[in-house]
Amino acid sequence: MGSEPITLTIRPAESGKKWSDESLERARRIMARYPEKRSAVMPLLYLAMAEDGRLTNGGMEQVAELVGITPAQVLAVASFYTMYKRERTGKYLISACTSISCMLTGGDDVFEAIELESGVPHGETDEEGLISVEHVECIGACGGAPAVQVNYELIEGVTPVKARELVRWLQQERPATINTDEMQRHFGGRRSFDWAVAEEASAVGPYPAFQPFGTVGGVGEGE
Amino acid sequence: MTARETEGVLVTIDGKEVRAPEGELLIKTAEDNGTYIPRFCWHPRLKEVGMCRMCLVDIETPGGSMMVTACTNPISDGMVVDTKNDRVKKAQEAILEYLLINHPLDCPVCDRGGECPLQDQTMSYGPGETRFVEEKRHFEKPIPISDLVLLDRERCILCARCTRFADEVPGDPLIEFKERGYGTQISIFPNQPFSSYFSGNTVQICPVGALTATPYRFRARPWDLKAVESTCPHCTAGDRISIEASQNQVLRFLGVDVDATNRGWLSDKCRFGFEYLNSEDRLTNPLARQEGGTYEEVSWGEATSIIAQRFGAIREAHGGDALAVLGGAHGTNEDAYALSVFARDVLGTKNIDCRMDDALGTRLLTGIDRRARISDVDTAGTIIVWGPDLKEEHPTLYLRVRHAVQELGANLIVIHPRATGLDDRADLKITYRPGSGSDLLTQLRGGDRDDVNALLEASPVVAFVGRTGYTEGPTMAEAVASWILELEDSRVLPLARRANVFGALDMGVAPDLEPGRIAATETGRDTRQILGGLASGDIRGLLLVGADPVRDVPDGSLATSGLSGAEFVVAIDMFHNDSTAHADVILPALGFSEKEGTVTNIEGRVQKVNRIAPGSGQSRSDWSIIADIATALGSDLGWTSEQEINDAMMARVPAYAEASWDALDWEERDGVVVPAPGADVPVYRPEMTTQPTVGAELVLHSARKLYDDGVMMRKGPSLHRLAPGGFAHLHPDDARRLGARTGSAVRLVTKRGEAELPVQVDPSLHRGVVYVPFNQPGVGPLGDDPVVRVTAVGEPD
Ligand code: SF4
Ligand code: SF4
Ligand code: FES
Repeated sequence: MGSEPITLTIRPAESGKKWSDESLERARRIMARYPEKRSAVMPLLYLAMAEDGRLTNGGMEQVAELVGITPAQVLAVASFYTMYKRERTGKYLISACTSISCMLTGGDDVFEAIELESGVPHGETDEEGLISVEHVECIGACGGAPAVQVNYELIEGVTPVKARELVRWLQQERPATINTDEMQRHFGGRRSFDWAVAEEASAVGPYPAFQPFGTVGGVGEGE
Repeated sequence: MTARETEGVLVTIDGKEVRAPEGELLIKTAEDNGTYIPRFCWHPRLKEVGMCRMCLVDIETPGGSMMVTACTNPISDGMVVDTKNDRVKKAQEAILEYLLINHPLDCPVCDRGGECPLQDQTMSYGPGETRFVEEKRHFEKPIPISDLVLLDRERCILCARCTRFADEVPGDPLIEFKERGYGTQISIFPNQPFSSYFSGNTVQICPVGALTATPYRFRARPWDLKAVESTCPHCTAGDRISIEASQNQVLRFLGVDVDATNRGWLSDKCRFGFEYLNSEDRLTNPLARQEGGTYEEVSWGEATSIIAQRFGAIREAHGGDALAVLGGAHGTNEDAYALSVFARDVLGTKNIDCRMDDALGTRLLTGIDRRARISDVDTAGTIIVWGPDLKEEHPTLYLRVRHAVQELGANLIVIHPRATGLDDRADLKITYRPGSGSDLLTQLRGGDRDDVNALLEASPVVAFVGRTGYTEGPTMAEAVASWILELEDSRVLPLARRANVFGALDMGVAPDLEPGRIAATETGRDTRQILGGLASGDIRGLLLVGADPVRDVPDGSLATSGLSGAEFVVAIDMFHNDSTAHADVILPALGFSEKEGTVTNIEGRVQKVNRIAPGSGQSRSDWSIIADIATALGSDLGWTSEQEINDAMMARVPAYAEASWDALDWEERDGVVVPAPGADVPVYRPEMTTQPTVGAELVLHSARKLYDDGVMMRKGPSLHRLAPGGFAHLHPDDARRLGARTGSAVRLVTKRGEAELPVQVDPSLHRGVVYVPFNQPGVGPLGDDPVVRVTAVGEPD
């Protein structure tokens, strides 16, 4: 090392694009449910994913600005959870649970069937950008194991045969809307209980079905 | 009160019974009573997290003994603790073995090596060997997280000291853990550096070498460093630092935890503001200007006799008042006392001022009886800041106020023309236009603002009062101070910025004060009048002592015309600067860390500064240069050391009667606060006046940023490049009206200067205010008159 100082200047990036008015309004309503704005970080991150198709730096910056914390603090939260996708996924993200309850009831076989039928291994996306596949840890559906999600919409009691059908259906039908009830009817088996409400917006990308988050389009969104 | 309340609860630590306040953390009780419990994550000035588990101890409970973390467990009556039994030892060994699983152990190339808590505690408490034989985890190393701080993730032990500091202390949570799990690491957000003004503290408190500072990296090993405690030379807070040097070069400053002042923290300007001391541009020899304007090296003897001859001639022909002295606020009290005596008794002039026309009245700064101490903010009910942005100009006071509001529940009112660092913690923020402060004050004083009245109900009230910017005159601050003192149970801390300005005023480096805060019988000229006098020829000779009026006086053109008009100018300085360019003789001065003496902080706390480096070339102390000039002028002042001046000072200045070098023993106390109890110091009451409202459409607000274009910054590469540069900040409405937008250019014309600057649209501004940071690279002075004309340059859109 010479005595020259190390010169390095990181310039702040241009702040990302603003969200649509609709999303901002939605964010406002979500935040209104919490006594502290920052508690809304997690549901807002799903909104950010919906906005950009994945969790972008711009999206995290927008969330930070909305709830009044720094982007670094948002990243700290976002990077812990694998369901916040920072890489682009396909139009349909298939997540097969291989945690203990699902594993005991054949989850590994379901996952393998999905991989083989789609030709997409864990963590990857097909060339067309249509389907991404992953195996995941517990998605909270042990009562209906083995469980699979498409864009975080749940199907319970899935068999390897049904899983292959599901993949083909996605490839051929390319549904504009991913809806848990519909998928459950065609590809599911025993169901533990009603998971969610129908929503149109979920088709735009990975999107949570959990009504209490208030990220469900139009339904159950009280102030 | 019960014994439990007065003496605390009884705890047995390793068989020894001790008493301590109930609820105190066990790790602290143990340490205060002589038992050191090893730790990594716990830091006495941060909130506890129990992250590292190094502090596990055994406590007895009804259900048997139990391992707990000493850093998160409050003590309770009858608690029995074992910090050394086999179970504890086994836990400590296990934690260290675990921490070292992925630790690179690159100690030979690690800045921390030799002063590393991980090394030390592994030696004292570690297992000696590891069972882990697999490949260690690797990260790219080191990665920059700011211009000043580098991160080595392999060395990080995930103690969260840095992240807690950033969040809790300065309120800059720009670093956080990410990828929690196997990949947990400290991280910034992409492209958003950890650009906190306080980032260097994380390097100091990191218990390993994971965070390193670019100005110190690979410069020295701890065992080669000599250290001496001293008082930070960068602002008036008087923060305690340790100066560390190797081979006669100062290599770093560390913060020292003193409750009265900085509690261990420093701003990056303080911490890294030592590079200038080692600059190759330091003056080394006396210089005399030759015909044609070049400078030649001369001997001290020659220099002194030229000065004596020229000053003597002016004094003879035109009287002592044709001479003037500017500066002295950067030296020691001993230097200042010497300067004051020299000016009055040898030169025979009353024209002496250490302020650069940017401060407050000398009597307000030194003479009010209800002057607050820094620690008063800890017990304040309401804190008012009506003055400069503390974060920019008094960074450690900013931390103290932030702490008082955030942790101790004080109310905070901030009054300033634009956003300040404390706004996010303020209960009430009022913005106003410079030039209409009186209107606001009248409202507040009249009790017309219910929000203010409500907050003021919480007393005591502690107010930081100063000039919010240079286009607002000092009389405004007098009026504000006067209002505060009308309130019951209130105190005022008047703000001024050059490091030892309070000491220099106490020593009489002021036109209206003699040594000891005594009003002078005859008032001399202040800086502005001196510069005017030089320009008009009333004053002919000038002595500059560590002063750069061309840069520092808000009306820089007045300074330039004054200095060019002078017949004979002498500058005592460490560097050539814009003002020494006008000097006939330049004398090289010793700087901070090169001389011993006392300094006085904003609250009147006298502390020592100490010597560790020899200084450059033939540089000398201000006082000894002055003594030689005095001798050459025929007056032997009789001083041969700083210590003798200190004695003389104590004898002549009653307020300083107790501030002897011996009394400033740092092992025992945090300096001495003057005036000494019972000292006879006249009390000053600031005057309530009303300033006429400035009616212009746009007014200028001109205030400093932490990093600017001052000479000490320019000569330190690490900090100078952090100066933000010149911008004209405009309120969005004003920008729209002018056809300007962020990035476009505007032309500013004031009575005293003009500039063309890029625009930054700034919604935090009060409407009708244009803010231009003072003394930024490439921006000339705009003066101190608030009226400004702004026009868009180039294509309006
Ligand atoms: S942090 Fe400490 S133990 Fe680790 S490499 Fe540096 S000196 Fe060695
Ligand atoms: S970088 Fe240092 S201070 Fe920060 S978490 Fe790692 S070890 Fe602790
Ligand atoms: S010091 Fe107690 S857990 Fe780290």
